[in-house]
Amino acid sequence: QERLSVSGTVVSAEDKAPLPGVSISSAEKTLGITDGDGHFSVNIAPQSKLSFRYVGYKYFETTINQATANLTIRLESASTMLEDVVVVGYGTQKKENLTGALSTLNMKEKEGSPTTNLSNALAGMPGMFVQLGQSQPGVDRSQIRIRGMGTLSGNNPLVLVNGIEYSMDELNPDDVETVTVLKDASAAIYGSRAANGVILVTTKKGAGVSQVNYNYYNGIQNPTTMPDVIWDPIQYMRLKNQALANQGTQLPNYSDEEIAEYEAGMKTDPYTYPSNNWFDIALKNGNIQKHNLSFGGSSDNYQYRLSLGYLDRNGIIIGPSDKEKKYSLGFNASLNVSKRLKVGASIDGYYRHYDYPFYGKNFFQYLSRSLPILTDTLADGRYGNSWLRTPGRNNWENPRMIAETGNYRKIVQRFLASVFGEYKLPWDITYNVRFGADKYDGLLSGFTPQVQHFNPKTLVPINWNSPATAPRSNKADDNVLNIHFYNTVDWKKQFEEKHNVALMIGSSYDKFSNNFFDAEMVGYLDETLTALDAGTIRNAISGHLEEDVLISYFGRANYDYKGKYLLEATFRYDGSSRFAKGHRWGFFPSISAGWRIDQESFFQSEVINLMKLRASVGRLGNQAVDLYSYENSIALGQNYSFGGINGLLASGAAANAYADPLTSWETTTTYNAGLDFELLQSKINVTADFYKKRTTGILRTVNLPSQVGGLAGPKRNVGTVDNSGLELVAQYRNKIGEVNYGIQGNVSYNKNKVIDLGGQILYNFETNLSTITKEGLPINAHYLLQSDGFFQNQEEIDNHAFQSNATRPGYIRYKDINGDNIINGEDRVAISESSSIPKYTYGFGFNVAYKGFELKAAFQGIGGIKIYPTANLAYPFNNGAGATTEWLTDAWTPENPNAKLPIVTESTGNKDNFLQSDFWLRSGSYLRLKSLQLAYLVPQAWTSKIKIARLSVFVNAENYLTFSKYKGFDPETIIDANSLYHYPMLKTISGGVNVTF
Amino acid sequence: CNPDLLDTAPDNKYTESNFWKTEAAANAALTGIYATLKGDGLYGGEATPLWEEGASPNAFCYSAGTQGFDAIGRGQQSASTGAVISARWKQAYQGIGRANTFLARIGEVGLTQEVQSRMEGEAYFLRAFYYFTLATYYGGAPIILDAPDPDSQKDLPRNSREEVIQQVLTDIDLAAEKLPVKYTGADVGRATKGAALALKARALLYEASPLLNTDNNIEKWQTASIAAKAVIDLAAEAGYALFDNYRNLFLPENENNREVIFDVQFLFPDAGSSFDLINSQYNSNAPLQGLANAYEMKNGLAINDPNAGYDPEKPYENRDPRLYATIVFPGDTFKGKAVTPSTFAQTGYAMKKYSIYDKETPPSDKADLKSGQSETNFIIFRYADVLLMYVEALNESSPGHADILNYINQVRARVDMPNIAAGLGQEAMRETIRKERRVEFAGEALYYNDVRRWKTAESVMNAPIENWKNQILETRKFDAKRDYWWPIPQAELDLNPNLEQNPNY
Repeated sequence: QERLSVSGTVVSAEDKAPLPGVSISSAEKTLGITDGDGHFSVNIAPQSKLSFRYVGYKYFETTINQATANLTIRLESASTMLEDVVVVGYGTQKKENLTGALSTLNMKEKEGSPTTNLSNALAGMPGMFVQLGQSQPGVDRSQIRIRGMGTLSGNNPLVLVNGIEYSMDELNPDDVETVTVLKDASAAIYGSRAANGVILVTTKKGAGVSQVNYNYYNGIQNPTTMPDVIWDPIQYMRLKNQALANQGTQLPNYSDEEIAEYEAGMKTDPYTYPSNNWFDIALKNGNIQKHNLSFGGSSDNYQYRLSLGYLDRNGIIIGPSDKEKKYSLGFNASLNVSKRLKVGASIDGYYRHYDYPFYGKNFFQYLSRSLPILTDTLADGRYGNSWLRTPGRNNWENPRMIAETGNYRKIVQRFLASVFGEYKLPWDITYNVRFGADKYDGLLSGFTPQVQHFNPKTLVPINWNSPATAPRSNKADDNVLNIHFYNTVDWKKQFEEKHNVALMIGSSYDKFSNNFFDAEMVGYLDETLTALDAGTIRNAISGHLEEDVLISYFGRANYDYKGKYLLEATFRYDGSSRFAKGHRWGFFPSISAGWRIDQESFFQSEVINLMKLRASVGRLGNQAVDLYSYENSIALGQNYSFGGINGLLASGAAANAYADPLTSWETTTTYNAGLDFELLQSKINVTADFYKKRTTGILRTVNLPSQVGGLAGPKRNVGTVDNSGLELVAQYRNKIGEVNYGIQGNVSYNKNKVIDLGGQILYNFETNLSTITKEGLPINAHYLLQSDGFFQNQEEIDNHAFQSNATRPGYIRYKDINGDNIINGEDRVAISESSSIPKYTYGFGFNVAYKGFELKAAFQGIGGIKIYPTANLAYPFNNGAGATTEWLTDAWTPENPNAKLPIVTESTGNKDNFLQSDFWLRSGSYLRLKSLQLAYLVPQAWTSKIKIARLSVFVNAENYLTFSKYKGFDPETIIDANSLYHYPMLKTISGGVNVTF
Repeated sequence: CNPDLLDTAPDNKYTESNFWKTEAAANAALTGIYATLKGDGLYGGEATPLWEEGASPNAFCYSAGTQGFDAIGRGQQSASTGAVISARWKQAYQGIGRANTFLARIGEVGLTQEVQSRMEGEAYFLRAFYYFTLATYYGGAPIILDAPDPDSQKDLPRNSREEVIQQVLTDIDLAAEKLPVKYTGADVGRATKGAALALKARALLYEASPLLNTDNNIEKWQTASIAAKAVIDLAAEAGYALFDNYRNLFLPENENNREVIFDVQFLFPDAGSSFDLINSQYNSNAPLQGLANAYEMKNGLAINDPNAGYDPEKPYENRDPRLYATIVFPGDTFKGKAVTPSTFAQTGYAMKKYSIYDKETPPSDKADLKSGQSETNFIIFRYADVLLMYVEALNESSPGHADILNYINQVRARVDMPNIAAGLGQEAMRETIRKERRVEFAGEALYYNDVRRWKTAESVMNAPIENWKNQILETRKFDAKRDYWWPIPQAELDLNPNLEQNPNY
């Protein structure tokens, strides 16, 4: 039989790069693979089919009729299927036909980086402020704000996983294919939950040839930055005495004899006279490692993917109790039962647990109070305190003791299980139905032994916790079952090959229920048995159930003319149990349009290959009001005992808050105009969006003066807030010789402004931050006294408005704004910068690839935000805490009249310098090298010999560089907070491998 | 779709519409008014009433965690001090709001006349007590007598202090009429007729005192003495008498004893205070040398009297027994151990009153009571206070009246202190009574208000404070033009611009 000789090259359709290791087969047999340059050469029978299979690429088949020497086969990436089609609410849309403002993240970009939670991977996306406040194992999740803050209550976006409301952080990030963020009216299809934006997470599906993938990374973690604390005991004691003297306390904390004794003792007895750097003692290197294993594949009739994940993290606190483990299972499969019916099921779940020391919730508060004179352990290993009496330190919180004592473990079992069906009816109608159950079981168990620490000199013990309540055991359980159901009918038709029409209508039912209880027992014989049963005295028990229901009807219509003029309209009609009867239902419509200018016949350009104008307008709602808050409730637990020593607790009840039955939806009207264009064969890619979001009827707790029964105020629809801004995203890709490179960047500007509050001023009493919300200012603007240098002498004090009887030279001088000769609350001034949301967010990065090597860098930053850290270490000598080293050198003295800081005093003993003023306001802006990655794709020619289809190795550095004016701590961690008591931001260096068989 | 699907209801709270139905509900609402007494701005929290001594020359509060009494002691409080200055205003109104709601709704329940009347009496007493608290520390305050309603109440300005006191007296009279003289069993601790009359006596005594009675209207003293005498006259029926042991008067096993007229009830584990923790381990209400010096010698002479026999080398020998029942000092024994000067390093002293701890080693399960684990009731009115209030008012309105010596010597006799000799002039007797009040009630949150109402704060609080070695800790300041009254908290001014701030804040 005649054989045809066929040779050629297989390349990636995307970037024309040769693909080595592609397996080639004919109907008869496997013929071989491409070499390192993508070349192949085979002999086949005429008219036979030649097929090409390659991991991550679409299967390709062609019929060969004649011998050929220069055949070029272009394989399309399997994931570009998803790039072409974007997931939108209740469906998908071709990217070129989109009319809304969307951002997408393909998780392929995060390959090899140590992502513990999906929310953390969104940092740097355009139009979003992603803030990681806690890096503690188990709770290291980011807060996400999309296009500013439209409200004063719940600002979290709605997250849906495969169409069902779910937490994006209860999924293995390795199971996620793409994330779509709906930022404008495109979110309106989600109605009353959409005002803060909607995030759609789509999990990975099996694609193409069945394959096995395994990836692994291992990394070391350390704090990005820690405060620079005075750890020299003598320096500490002298400065503390100085601070007391400066504020008029006549007796020093540490006498000259004590200091002399200490100095001498340090040479011989480090247990009694320690010189401890507690950050070194109490913190260690953290470790993170992760394994992922997945199996997947698809054909015309089925698709499946099964994945397993295991994450093991050890935190940076010493001792056994700062860690987490996560075990994930992901499974999804679908099957075409018949030509009309397709069914499928998916389950995504975690079994995970994390630990922290029993008193570990406050660990960083305790650590920020530790002093160099605090003994770590005695020679025999018992926990130490200090023989020196330090006011404010009545029960030394030895950080080692806290880290090693007792334990809390939270065990979470959470899964989202769903089943779905799709039935093709006649006349191009499709019926879709999906049912999902989101089950969360979070059990928190704690046990603490009785702990003592010892005076290192006298060996006198102090009980750290009371024998009356320790040992003790607690258990708290959150049991959540959320049921979600929706069904849609889709109809799609093309008329005369130019009019494309699509319609969708649907309805949904969502029910959320949370059953909670907790219990505590004391009276344990010892520390052997820790069960509740083993205790003898019931200490506290509580529990309740909360339920919440949402019923919705929604629909969408699309029309396009030849893909040139695009039109979309949606509506949603939502009923929520969160409001009183008569105020439950809300209607949320939207409309959007697009114009593909480049498709017009008059548009002829060699340079511009795509140009699209988009515009949208829509209404979105926010129902984030506390459950049952429309009705005045009488809370129990206001108990009091009668009957003396043998008396009983009598059940007491009282209203604690005033409710407003008229409370209803917040409504956001959003306008967006956007322009997309691509230049030079798509080498340059630019998207610009302008938006304005006006939220009316914002829900806000209206604080009441205490004279109204000391009640918390009601949530009311009180006003109007605008967010307006612009987003710009640009990308450039090119190659020079064998070097492929790209740069990309985005910048977003958001202006937040309160338009109308009915003339009211809302003061923030929920936190200790001194902020107000007032017409014309951003939400939660700082509201502070204005500092005006330091008093240099008594005469200046006498001539200035009265501050307090404590004022001395070296103290901060405040401006008497209202000129009444007294400095008080009337002299506060609002500062037009928010305490909680930045004006600018930006990200940029580059990638360079040469042969198998690729270097990627991503920077991320924010600007236009102020932070106000207070207390331990932000202030000196706060209630028995220490101070940072700048107080040694940069504080006011008569010889240093132009110092950076006022004269050193205790911050608790003397409030005068620590009144809330702009003196302590700090810029929270920062820029950080979020990640730097070097990857190497081992040549197929080598790996194919050991039956490995693809092998890459990675080295990764996360958060290794941070630029910020604020030096005390990592600024991202403490935005919207008022202390430094946070698990610090971590930097990670890691290495990993990704293998596909 | 069935619209009822959207009906959900809480399972751990009542709503206003389904609550006021049963006697149990009415009882719970009444209990809720008492519960406010345990707020950290009033008598609960960790140890608010014990820290109040730190605002007076009796004690020193180290700066943080003492509810701002440290700042008040130094004359450094301001509208934004927060802590007790904010909390006391808020919680007084919380109690008032609860009482107002109770009085407005109790009629709906359908109780028997007798039960309803008694419960109303308790509510009137508590409302009067909370209004009196406002008047005592802040002066005038908005008078609100209806159930909380933002629209009609949130913008109300302050009424004058005199109007508030008038309202207090009106409520007290209603309460006294409705309340029983005593309770038994599980009801012990509720407000009685005696409590109402004692509150009246205190309110009128404060009204008669120099701070408020600027032209020394003798009639006011007379009214005050009559009010105090009314409690004494009730003693036989109510069973009031001095408890025989001064130290044991403040121990949990003697709660609600015959000397107690009204007290705040604490109970372990769910409704405790932190009195033991604060007194011993935290020592953040550290007694000052000035208080130690105020105790006479056992022979009744002041320590600076040349005939007293006071030995500066052995300063704690042969003193008024109340010193040993109130203060732990260097050289003392406490919890089974010798007390050294560094045991209580703030001043050398610790407060013993209101703690279960004494010389003996405590049982192991109570060795180290921590936050919320103390259950000793805090006494607001006790019979000795009534006696000394009566004596004080009488000395102003009828100097030389025989009851003066009779009752002051009763109080002294209980601790085996010699009688005050007859024949003291009015002024000398005034000083004697004031000294007696200081030592008898040290640690009971009365002295701060006493020095304010006597208008002596501007001298005794404009002075250095000393530790046990007579070393000066700091020199306090007191601005007579400002510091007799607390500022209205900044948050209240922000929320209700119609509230007028007190002078010079």
